[in-house]
Amino acid sequence: MNSELEQSFVQQIEENQNLIHKICRLYTNSEDAHKDLFQEITIQLWKAYPKFRGDSKFTTWAYRVGLNTAITLYRKKSRTVKTTEFDNQLHKINQEEYNYEEEEHIKLLYQAVHQLNDIDKALVFMYLEDKDYGEIAETLGITEVNARVKMNRIKGKLKKILNP
Amino acid sequence: MDDLDKLKNSWKKSTDNYPKFSAKEIYAMLHKRSSSIVKWILVISITEFTLWLVISFLLSDSSQMKRINSLHLNYITTPLEIINYLIILYFMFIFYTNYRRIKVTDNAKRLMQSILKTRKAVTTYIITVIVYNFISMMLLFVLFFMYDPNIIGAEQKFEANGNLGWFYVLYILLALLATGVILLLFWLFYKLIYGLLLKRLNRNYNELKKLDF
Repeated sequence: MNSELEQSFVQQIEENQNLIHKICRLYTNSEDAHKDLFQEITIQLWKAYPKFRGDSKFTTWAYRVGLNTAITLYRKKSRTVKTTEFDNQLHKINQEEYNYEEEEHIKLLYQAVHQLNDIDKALVFMYLEDKDYGEIAETLGITEVNARVKMNRIKGKLKKILNP
Repeated sequence: MDDLDKLKNSWKKSTDNYPKFSAKEIYAMLHKRSSSIVKWILVISITEFTLWLVISFLLSDSSQMKRINSLHLNYITTPLEIINYLIILYFMFIFYTNYRRIKVTDNAKRLMQSILKTRKAVTTYIITVIVYNFISMMLLFVLFFMYDPNIIGAEQKFEANGNLGWFYVLYILLALLATGVILLLFWLFYKLIYGLLLKRLNRNYNELKKLDF
């Protein structure tokens, strides 16, 4: 194993780890599962790393591998206990702008997103990350028009979950 | 502002709340074993190829085979054996080239397609093997009927008792029963292993396909 390559990879992951955490946040709901998916994404990134030539940004490349791992490659652990404590810790709002009502609403929103299917979650994730529809479509392998249509449907779905 | 935009605001603010893994922890992760579905497909597929190779080796040494050899039917059994190995080699090649095409950096749809295609090669292989074995078994049954002295003897006994019809029924029933049991076992194997393994992948792939109306 090339240790120099390994070092540069570990450094890239350490610097950009929030990106992976964000994917794990949408696709898992316990601390254990979060770590497990994080590890699998890291392994997949490492396997693909020798072919990463730097013609795209590390983050753009990592988004794709990360999402592919979450949607396609990853096999969920059969027993995952949901811990709301972990969830709550993730969507805490900073103290100075604390607003109970807003925090409750955001919590419900996250719960609603968790109920979506894997593909819908991927679209929501890229939307939250400010990706344009061109990139969303390219990452999933669908057309841009269909990505837009789907996003509008997801908004409708979320509304339905929140106001049954 | 719609709900998703509210979520986006909070999403951007919450970046400090994530756990932080140290370089040491990340380094340790690289050396952990992957539990990816592709790895499982590879392991299971290689097991299947090996299993069939072992089975065909064992069969060629079985008493049944010795009985066939004693009938001097090499002009039929040798080509059958060659076809068997050609089938294995051909599908191994197809499987390998498909496997090499699986790239985690492809778009999601293409990645799913290439995984399903790789898996399909092995399924086609198994179906081919079953069909091949079914045909060669039937062929051997017919040859036994024509040449095997034991069967001809048994046939004559049944005939003398006026039960020749029963003999045929019994023979065919036994052959069908044996084939049925083998097929059932295969079906269970596939439903269980691949049903579980590919359930989520198939679901997500169908979801993506639905998007491209």
